[in-house]
Amino acid sequence: MAKFDYVLAKTLEDAVHLLNEPNIRSIPLAGGTDIYVAIRVNPIWFDRLVDIRRIPELSQITQEGDVVSLGAAVTFSHAIANPILQKVAPFLVEACSTIGGPAVRNCGTFGGNVSNAAACADSLPALVCLEAVAHLRSPKGKRQLKVEDLVTGPHETKIESGELLTHFTFKVPPEKARSCFIKIGRREAQSISRLSIAVIGAVDSTGMVDYIRVCPGAAVATPVRFPHVEAVLLGKKPDEEIITAAAEQLVVDMIVSTGRRWSTEYKEITLKAIAERSLTKIFLEDGQHVN
Amino acid sequence: MLINFNLNHKPVSVDAPADITLLALLRDRFKLTGTKEACEVGECGACSVLLDGELVNSCLVAAPSVMGRNVVTIEGIHAEDGGPNDLQRNFIEKGAVQCGFCIPGMVLAGEALLSIKSDPSRLEIREALAGNLCRCTGYMQIVDAIETTAKARAEKHHPEKRED
Amino acid sequence: MANLKYVGHPAQRVDALDKVMGKTKYVGDMSIPGMLYARSLRSELPHARIVKLDVSPALKVPGVVAVVTSDDFMNHSNFGFPISDMYMLAYEKVRYVGEGIASVAAETPEAALEGVKAIICELEPLPAVFDMAHALDPDAPQIGPNRTDGNHPNYIGHYPVYKGNPTEKLQECDVTIEQKYETVMQEHAYLETEGGLAIPTPEGGVVVYLSCQSPFIPRNDLCKVLGLSADRVRVIVPPVGGSFGGKDDLNYQTAGQVAALALKAKRPVRMTFSREESIIASYKRGSMRMNIKLGADQDGTLRACEFRSLYDSGAYSSQSPFTSWRASIHAMGAYRYEDCTVDIDTVYTNTGYAGAYRGFGNTEVCSGIEQAIDEMADALKMDPMDFRLKNCLKVGDVTPHGQLLSESVGLTDCILKVRKMSDWDRKRKEFASQSPSAEKRRGIGVAALFHGTSLGAEGLDEATATIEIHSDNQVTLTSGLTDYGTGARTVYTLIAAEILGIKPERILVHNPDTNTAKDSGPTVASRTTILAGNSVRVAAQNLIQNLDWAAADFLKCDVYQVHRVGEDYIGPSEEPVSWDIIVKHAREMGLVLSAFGRWTAPEIHWDEEKGTGIPYFAYHFGAQVAEVEVDLKTGHTDVVNIWAVHDIGKVIFPQGAYGQLYGGISHGLGYGLYEDLDYQNGYAQSINFDTYLIPTSMDMPEIKGGFVEAAFSAGPFGAKNIAEPSMVPTAPAILNAIANATGRRIRKLPANLERVMLGKELTKKGSPFSCKVALKIT
Repeated sequence: MAKFDYVLAKTLEDAVHLLNEPNIRSIPLAGGTDIYVAIRVNPIWFDRLVDIRRIPELSQITQEGDVVSLGAAVTFSHAIANPILQKVAPFLVEACSTIGGPAVRNCGTFGGNVSNAAACADSLPALVCLEAVAHLRSPKGKRQLKVEDLVTGPHETKIESGELLTHFTFKVPPEKARSCFIKIGRREAQSISRLSIAVIGAVDSTGMVDYIRVCPGAAVATPVRFPHVEAVLLGKKPDEEIITAAAEQLVVDMIVSTGRRWSTEYKEITLKAIAERSLTKIFLEDGQHVN
Repeated sequence: MLINFNLNHKPVSVDAPADITLLALLRDRFKLTGTKEACEVGECGACSVLLDGELVNSCLVAAPSVMGRNVVTIEGIHAEDGGPNDLQRNFIEKGAVQCGFCIPGMVLAGEALLSIKSDPSRLEIREALAGNLCRCTGYMQIVDAIETTAKARAEKHHPEKRED
Repeated sequence: MANLKYVGHPAQRVDALDKVMGKTKYVGDMSIPGMLYARSLRSELPHARIVKLDVSPALKVPGVVAVVTSDDFMNHSNFGFPISDMYMLAYEKVRYVGEGIASVAAETPEAALEGVKAIICELEPLPAVFDMAHALDPDAPQIGPNRTDGNHPNYIGHYPVYKGNPTEKLQECDVTIEQKYETVMQEHAYLETEGGLAIPTPEGGVVVYLSCQSPFIPRNDLCKVLGLSADRVRVIVPPVGGSFGGKDDLNYQTAGQVAALALKAKRPVRMTFSREESIIASYKRGSMRMNIKLGADQDGTLRACEFRSLYDSGAYSSQSPFTSWRASIHAMGAYRYEDCTVDIDTVYTNTGYAGAYRGFGNTEVCSGIEQAIDEMADALKMDPMDFRLKNCLKVGDVTPHGQLLSESVGLTDCILKVRKMSDWDRKRKEFASQSPSAEKRRGIGVAALFHGTSLGAEGLDEATATIEIHSDNQVTLTSGLTDYGTGARTVYTLIAAEILGIKPERILVHNPDTNTAKDSGPTVASRTTILAGNSVRVAAQNLIQNLDWAAADFLKCDVYQVHRVGEDYIGPSEEPVSWDIIVKHAREMGLVLSAFGRWTAPEIHWDEEKGTGIPYFAYHFGAQVAEVEVDLKTGHTDVVNIWAVHDIGKVIFPQGAYGQLYGGISHGLGYGLYEDLDYQNGYAQSINFDTYLIPTSMDMPEIKGGFVEAAFSAGPFGAKNIAEPSMVPTAPAILNAIANATGRRIRKLPANLERVMLGKELTKKGSPFSCKVALKIT
């Protein structure tokens, strides 16, 4: 006897309907890379998987004007090869290429990564920096939430039962912006983030920072921007001293958020280093300002 | 539930429970035991198969989700005469095989790479194998086998390059 | 030996074709009509008394056919060698998390699990000891069996080497160092988990297909615990998906369980492990704490070594008495000393258990002594290569054990060659001038090793082989030693082909089977090439003699006038005659076309009290260099290059030898950088490949390997061994490279992110949760 059922959703409407059929607890299935791992060790919390992988609009990456739309069932492999993302959000592409191995990237999706909401989820910091908005649909209608607000804790989100995460949108960052993603893992591949950081920033015509987003991964409970850190940089000339100050602020804010934990002694040094490196990469190269 | 799909280039139809993985479907229903079970959490690649030409971990794929799609397992990789193809021959020649448990997955990962990249560097080959663990070989001779195959296939398709 | 046709030439692995086609059937791939699936109830406590064990509810579960406990065996299923402290299923007590208590056979794996869950098993927790330093405390809870010699029951043994008095000699030395080094537990991580398939036979016996290394050990154990005669128990080793020392004791228990269930149910029974069950239940490389004192003179002469260590065997002794002994023999490294003592004490704890793993004690001690040697070189301001070259063992030296090395000592050549290959001198100089403020720093380090060949003074050391030409002229070969992925069957094939003068394709090596092969001792200790290879050589020589006579008779000449061209025989008439015709003629002459070969290793001896003797009849030597880039701000170490040169004697099967070399290095790299099967209060904290990390293709550098073929006169064609020693020096070479890069030394393995950056470990509070859950998953 099967422990749960499976149904293929052909359209978005179909999926929303199936997810909300009464008396049958349904959850969406995209790549399966998290669900099948979870049900190996956890009691099964659903009656049916609703396969959303073949709904065409969920697998699309499009750009209309200055808004990019990223389907929830877009795989990491698809994203890595996508010219739009390569151009407007190279750090998101970098982040995707650090996830799992090729087989996992061929299945794993943005929707899955965000709704699973692991503290170490590698696509999240860049999505947060892009101020990506998650689009949710249910019989009650549509609603939108910033990814940063959607994720409320490790493996916790505001996605309600019966609600389908359909896609993300984000505004194309300023053309002059440069971005960077750095991940520290215990291994060179197939590695869970010990710590990561996504940054994107730009300077104005006078060389002062006028655009900056900083989001570390696996540092605090959820991936969030660090406004104090961004404030240190905004309106300043991003030289070594300011970058160091920003990195130090980031460490202070991390410890405020988490308190001192078993791993803080390591993370405070490493987070500072990858913050400095990522900011240096986007603002300075060989000591020269780059944008 | 009834699942219809193409398995190793032939249409098949199988009645299977909805809650099993593609790995269980292949091994238990079709007795295709070349696809190995070794971690069941998508970390080792021993269960690798090609799904519509892409490498996937069959332990993380819902069996019913392959409806109407093309699945190729190691049993579907061979030369026209049923013997080893060029990549499989190079695995043998280069000494890429030891205990052999990871090898079906490695061959499929190699084929998946070569289907999208005809002249991979050794680093690109290593990236393509990064989800397939091998505890015996240290990967050197597996990389050798894929590299040699890539070169030979490129030469076969572009013999004129030889004169450069 | 000049004109070898097959030995030393590129060859194809005899079992590779089936493996690349996906046709190879490992135990878990076999199924038989009516076969039942078995599952074990395993302990969720590290130390407990079994107060109540009632399996009757399991038998009421639909689909469950049979259940066994220790009561279903003779003498409560007691077994184990050299110390009989294990049981096929726990008797009275459990001593580690994951220990088997009862085993259920059912129509489906799901029903077997339901059966396991239905068993009423009451465990009364007992105080446990997890820290080896407290295992011998007077009030430490008893883990080991009762003993009558006055020693603590948690004491397994003391393993010494004694030469002179280093304590005094150290006082005379210009420079002395003293340091502590520590290693942690390592998981074998064979891709194929444990498994066995038992089939009852019509006459009341049992055939077991068992993924293991040494089929005669479980055959003999099964006879003992099932009360069956040897002719009623047959163990066959199917293709094995990796072992590295790891598929012995635990899988002998699997054999016992499936065999008892099959006999009870009168149906075939198969058990295969999930990865989590495999990691939780299986034995590991044990952890070791070392204290090393070295003394040298300012001119770089190494004079004294005092080595003390404690080795944690965990809940059972398994192979630890032998592991500890091998560790003691190799503890001082491949160097000359005026005075040298080694004292290793081995104890029981409730931290999993330790058994055989590639390198078998030498991997552990080498990571200590090879760092100490570097630290001494630093203290002397000598180049580590120069220091090793000045002191390393050479032909004519007497080892600290008292053994004269009369041949086949290629260490100096290995060091010189690896020094050149790695461009050591230039890099060492270049890295010394890196900016002190650089966040990413390069370093290069070396480690050398010696490794005794075969069992040494652990026991009788001989092997036998049979060879036969069948009516279709197919040649078959049997050996009592297995090939669990190493390539041994290809080695046997090449040796036989060389001596018989026939193409390797004509030869088929049977899978080891206790009914057809002869007991040749365990397949361990990198002994197959020398021991089994030599026995194949002897068997082939015995067989070819008959064919030579047949050829001389056919060609009407004397034996000495016959020579070979390709497979053909040629006599004075110069007319080639095919091998098949000569074989046919031999048959017509009534000559037997089968032969037997036995080879017994040269005599060795060891005095366990005095700590002296001739521990091994030959030694492998080698040196590896690692180049690293260390990120001081993240603790990340990138191993950029590894060069490895090993003296393995004559290379028989080149791709196989390189494969062993590269593969061993991958185990060593993981051991050096991140592998740590951490137990917290007896519970393994990593139980699958998502948290127990082994190197991926991206972690392994391009390895440059080379061999020094310092022939060993008694080896087949001069061959020695490679499998284990290939991994032994990798971790210390990496650690020495990290020290070269950073100026800081990491004396406890592994050199993970935190240790590299902070110089210490950060420990997360452990949890028993995942072990408990994983023992009950489908």
